[in-house]
Amino acid sequence: MGVFKLDPEVYKRYKDEVLKLCNSFQRIDRPGLSDKQIAAKLGLDERTVTEIRCVAERDCYGLDEWEKAIEFKRRATLEWSALALKRPDLKEK
Amino acid sequence: MTREEQVKAVGRKAGARVVGIATVEAFRAKVPEGHRPEDMLPGARSVIVAGGDGPTAGAWRCPDHRVMEITGYDLRENVAVHAMCDFIEATLSHRAIQAPSLAVHGHAPPMSMMHAAELAGLGSRSLAAHIILHPEYGLLYYAALITTLPLEPDPPLAEPACPHPGCVAMYRRIGTTPCLRVCPACLSGSVRDGRIERSTYDRERCHSRAQTYGIGSFQKALLQLVNEDHADKRSTMIHGDFFTRSIQALGFFRDSIAQCFECMRVCPVGRKYRKLE
Amino acid sequence: MSLPPNAAAALKSGALTSGATVCGVADAAAFDAHAPAGHRSGDLLPGAKSVVVVGGAQPRAGDWAATSPWVLQTMGTTERIQSVGRKLAQQIESQFGYYALYVPPGTASGDTPFLSLMLAAQLAGVGSRSLAGPVLNREHGFLYWSAVITTAPLEPDAPEAEPACPAPPCREMWEREGTTPCLKVCPAADGGCLGGKLEGGRAVRTFYDAARCNTRVHTHWIGGFQKVLEETLNESDKDKRKMLLYGDFMTRTLWAITYSSTNIAQCFECMRVCPAAHGLKEMK
Repeated sequence: MGVFKLDPEVYKRYKDEVLKLCNSFQRIDRPGLSDKQIAAKLGLDERTVTEIRCVAERDCYGLDEWEKAIEFKRRATLEWSALALKRPDLKEK
Repeated sequence: MTREEQVKAVGRKAGARVVGIATVEAFRAKVPEGHRPEDMLPGARSVIVAGGDGPTAGAWRCPDHRVMEITGYDLRENVAVHAMCDFIEATLSHRAIQAPSLAVHGHAPPMSMMHAAELAGLGSRSLAAHIILHPEYGLLYYAALITTLPLEPDPPLAEPACPHPGCVAMYRRIGTTPCLRVCPACLSGSVRDGRIERSTYDRERCHSRAQTYGIGSFQKALLQLVNEDHADKRSTMIHGDFFTRSIQALGFFRDSIAQCFECMRVCPVGRKYRKLE
Repeated sequence: MSLPPNAAAALKSGALTSGATVCGVADAAAFDAHAPAGHRSGDLLPGAKSVVVVGGAQPRAGDWAATSPWVLQTMGTTERIQSVGRKLAQQIESQFGYYALYVPPGTASGDTPFLSLMLAAQLAGVGSRSLAGPVLNREHGFLYWSAVITTAPLEPDAPEAEPACPAPPCREMWEREGTTPCLKVCPAADGGCLGGKLEGGRAVRTFYDAARCNTRVHTHWIGGFQKVLEETLNESDKDKRKMLLYGDFMTRTLWAITYSSTNIAQCFECMRVCPAAHGLKEMK
């Protein structure tokens, strides 16, 4: 595999597992595994795991999640301001 | 003054709110090989962690979330780390490096500043994205240095900062806490006997909120762009607000650091420092 | 208007207090013999008389000893000297009443700087070129540089009489093996960037492949971004495009573009092995 070129079939095959084992979905009682540890577990080389993980982190959610993020922050900030600053006029109707 | 007190005084003078010390041995229990301080600097003996303030109290009160998307950090803890490194090498003649903390492969940094802060007694993991909360100041930002200088370590916290008694009471009443309630998309958890019983954190969803405009959004938007065959639609995407702000976040790095504070906004730990005139 | 008699000394003292490791002054006219038109001090500041050069913010002893490649590549210290340069420019104008221009550390176009800071350091007597390329100070080794062009007629310093390179161990190594530490770690003849020859204890020939060095010093930077973008646009398979744009190399490159400001260096191997590059202080 060259520096840029992860095989999309390899990616599709392993992405869910890699995401599950790394630090993407965290539990407070169980640290995620390093790329080296994941590689040992899945029988891959570390470099391939790193590449799969990088693509999968970014691929995990679609761009619509970013839209939701913008809306979430706008609404949450206003709601808190309305309550904590005693400014009901800030809250969206 | 002991060496520990000297070094901490240098760090605080340079802008750190808190400074703590851990031994390199303490990292071995939970940190995988390749990510320990000993892997960064041969002969390393100690890790010194500086915690710096987050947004000002005034910034927390701004009803426009876009303000804190840019003002969230002032990176002073890094200045404190450099000041301490300079002091350790120039005055105490021991090697010192800033611990590498920027992500180098996807989201993974070479070394965890969160874990360093825990081990140096500066905080404990919280229900809110497992953010390390200092028991007095709440949200702080952490940087660290690694040194060959042997120092007496500070113990980890005896009592965790989270959950706050108010959150324990809230959980007993309604089965949730302020952070879990404001952001159920990223967080879930439970409290039992005044302690965190269970806690999960969806980092990838959080990324879309904490770094809405930045490296990730640029990559997402660029992929959509190159896959769009229609020239007019491409033009709309290229010149639209989202892509423009994504490029801006690359150009002005400060625009790409922490951009969501909602779980911390509602957190009671350290809140007294946000009540001013 | 005239300068106070101790102006240069006061400036140098102030520079060291502000965090510079060394400070020297070059005659602005001295650039004309060495720099191409458009990149001389008078081209940037009409009426320039002097160029004040500060060096410092160098990697620490711990940085050179670090085994993690990420330390030097991501925790660069070069920007710390730039604030010293900027402060000096303001000081010259406010205290002495002469024009001062802080030389921007970026590039004028492509990879060409506004003014060569390395040439400025040599002319100001605070360093000399090495076989590997970087300018080395005799006492402190490898430093980062910042420069201020000014119309103030300051007393210039003479270039260094004895260069730091080649260092005695390197001369001995050349006699024994026909190479030096820097040439050995990155040989142009074997896919690296450097070549050269010593005679009578001096460098008589040097070779430097700047384009290859760029792929090492700025692995994750504008060039890499352009390469991935080109490859992506030329790739017809949409899945493969995703692999390119979301992959490790592109992600890391975007991090570097975002957080590394002007140009944090990402390869130090020729300097890591250089006996003259690390300064003289013993460290535990």
